[in-house]
Amino acid sequence: MHQIQLIRSSTFLWALAVAAVFALFVVALFAFIYWKLDDYLVARSDRMITTQIRFIADLPPARRISAIADHLAQDSRGVQYAGLFDAAGARLAGNIDRVPRELRLDGAVQGVRLDLLEQPAVHVPVVRAVGRRLDDGDVLVLGRNVDETREISSVVGEALALGLLPAFGLCLLAGVWLSVRAQRRVEEVNHRVQRIVAGELRERLPEGNTDDSFARLAGIVNGMLDEMETMINALAGVGNDIAHDLRTPLTRVRLALERGRTHAATLEELQDITDKAIVGIDQSLAIVTALLRLTEIENNRRMAGFGDVALDEILREVCDVYEPIAEDKRIGLGVVIDRNVQVWGDRDLLFEAVANLVDNAIKFTPSGGGVELALEAGDDTALVRVSDTGPGISEREREAVLRRFYRSDKMRNTPGVGLGLSLVAAIVKLHGFRLIIGPAPGGRIEILAWTGRAGKPITRRPRTLIHADASQMG
Amino acid sequence: MNRILLIEDDAETAEAIVAELADRGFEVQWAGDGVEGLDRARASSPDAMIVDRMLPGMDGLTVIEALRKDQVRTPVLVLSALGAVDDRVRGLRMGGDDYLTKPFALVELVARIEALLRRPIDSRETILHVGPLQLDLIERTARRGERELDLLPREFRLLEYMMRRNDQLLTRAMLLEEVWNYKFVPATSNLIDVHMGRLRHKVDGPGEAQLIHNVRGSGFVLRLRQ
Repeated sequence: MHQIQLIRSSTFLWALAVAAVFALFVVALFAFIYWKLDDYLVARSDRMITTQIRFIADLPPARRISAIADHLAQDSRGVQYAGLFDAAGARLAGNIDRVPRELRLDGAVQGVRLDLLEQPAVHVPVVRAVGRRLDDGDVLVLGRNVDETREISSVVGEALALGLLPAFGLCLLAGVWLSVRAQRRVEEVNHRVQRIVAGELRERLPEGNTDDSFARLAGIVNGMLDEMETMINALAGVGNDIAHDLRTPLTRVRLALERGRTHAATLEELQDITDKAIVGIDQSLAIVTALLRLTEIENNRRMAGFGDVALDEILREVCDVYEPIAEDKRIGLGVVIDRNVQVWGDRDLLFEAVANLVDNAIKFTPSGGGVELALEAGDDTALVRVSDTGPGISEREREAVLRRFYRSDKMRNTPGVGLGLSLVAAIVKLHGFRLIIGPAPGGRIEILAWTGRAGKPITRRPRTLIHADASQMG
Repeated sequence: MNRILLIEDDAETAEAIVAELADRGFEVQWAGDGVEGLDRARASSPDAMIVDRMLPGMDGLTVIEALRKDQVRTPVLVLSALGAVDDRVRGLRMGGDDYLTKPFALVELVARIEALLRRPIDSRETILHVGPLQLDLIERTARRGERELDLLPREFRLLEYMMRRNDQLLTRAMLLEEVWNYKFVPATSNLIDVHMGRLRHKVDGPGEAQLIHNVRGSGFVLRLRQ
């Protein structure tokens, strides 16, 4: 099983393919060398026999026979052939039996089959030969065995065997080693992932010290795991928060009903108790509704409701809605609009976000203060700012206010579900915008939006900026 | 007497709704599932229907769709445990006339049923009259008797909405949805009350009979005589 896996692994297959290509290339290279060498040897022997035939032909006829004999005697390897024949074709001297029929007697070298006096046992060699009819009518034939190339090929073959086979083997070994290593790392990763799946959220993939793709991939996954761990921990906290926040109104309901059951003497008293109970239950339901709404926005990956939204209109409308409430609290509510700006988003959700911010600002600003809604337009950004003269959000609280159900201690008795800012954060995140919380004193929350469709949320990582620096605060 | 068909699978919820509507003088029929509900709707042609979205056998929206295909125009109030905006839009697109998320107050349910039964018919009128109140939709002016009312645009819209539905209980949720076009519940719960207070201050001058009434715990009503 393990072996099949190994052979199937792509690392191994790649190594095999590379080795095969390498071998093919080497064989081709050797073949080329062989072909070139062969060519060179034939050309050299051709030149040699041409020189020799000219030399013997130029000798006086009487000395030719002894010259041929000398020539053959000097050839210890037995690769030289010579023959002198008379005009009728009878052999006068040399080791060639008769003039080959296909040999043209014009002094040009050609490859022929020679009939030798002593035929070699194995095979009739292919020979380069040259023939010439002499002045006295005799025929002179000189030849040379070029079968040496056969020896060369065997040498080349040996070299191939000695060089290529180990190289090929090495390639395979490297392939096996690499794929075993890769498989081991995959096993290791798999092992750790299984642990993460089993609930061990702190587990991370091994990154190692090397900068290979595996390590980089592990780095990326670890980054993702960090993010997820934070999110999951935050979610786990929410469960407790919900339980706690629901408990408060439900406790009131229970106490009211219990007391009412034993103490209510008249119908009016009973109705009074029931009304209180209904208020408490409505509060609990409001929490559940707000929570569902938050989940709905956070989970809503669809951008069906997206379109061009005029931010200036939203600001004016929110101001319009909240003006009477601000006035009742003797808080000045004003809108400052730089110029009209459109963004790509969900109109209702953006309205909800701005309304929530203004709602909060009015709630936390003491009487006699002011709330200002401002819209500033940059080159490709729009900034919606809700600022007030209230206490603002202290450094310590900035991160906490975005958590669900957070309500600052001094505001424990202010009505409200405490999900307002989380909701705004969720809406801002959905749009890929940025939520910036300014430093206290004075409340100051900004939504930094990207104008035009270039600011699609997928391309940008939404981030809530907790500690904004001075330049971003404008 | 108006006849209402309630299609709701939870017996206890249905019981409470039937009892409340009966107290208010409606004649109520109850069907426990979609198939039975559709049969009853076809057989008895009620004046209005309350349909739960999630029903055994046949989904509430399918029931409405089937009825609308038969050219049945009976107004339908859809009840649902799903509060998501998308879901609500879908419910209304499938032929529902109004949508109420569970859990709801019985007062809210009754107010919405009454609103469905008494939908403003003639919307082509350009001048609305309710007692001494007169609203000119083209000139955008409002008067009470001889007195000119100086209304902000939203106050004008609110008064128009109320005059078209005079003598009807209008709940805060209805006003938020219809007049303010809110798709969510604002954190400040008295938002509507503050706006209504402004309007009432302008409509009901000192010494004049009160026209805008606050119905305790439920909403508001525009009514000529108490």
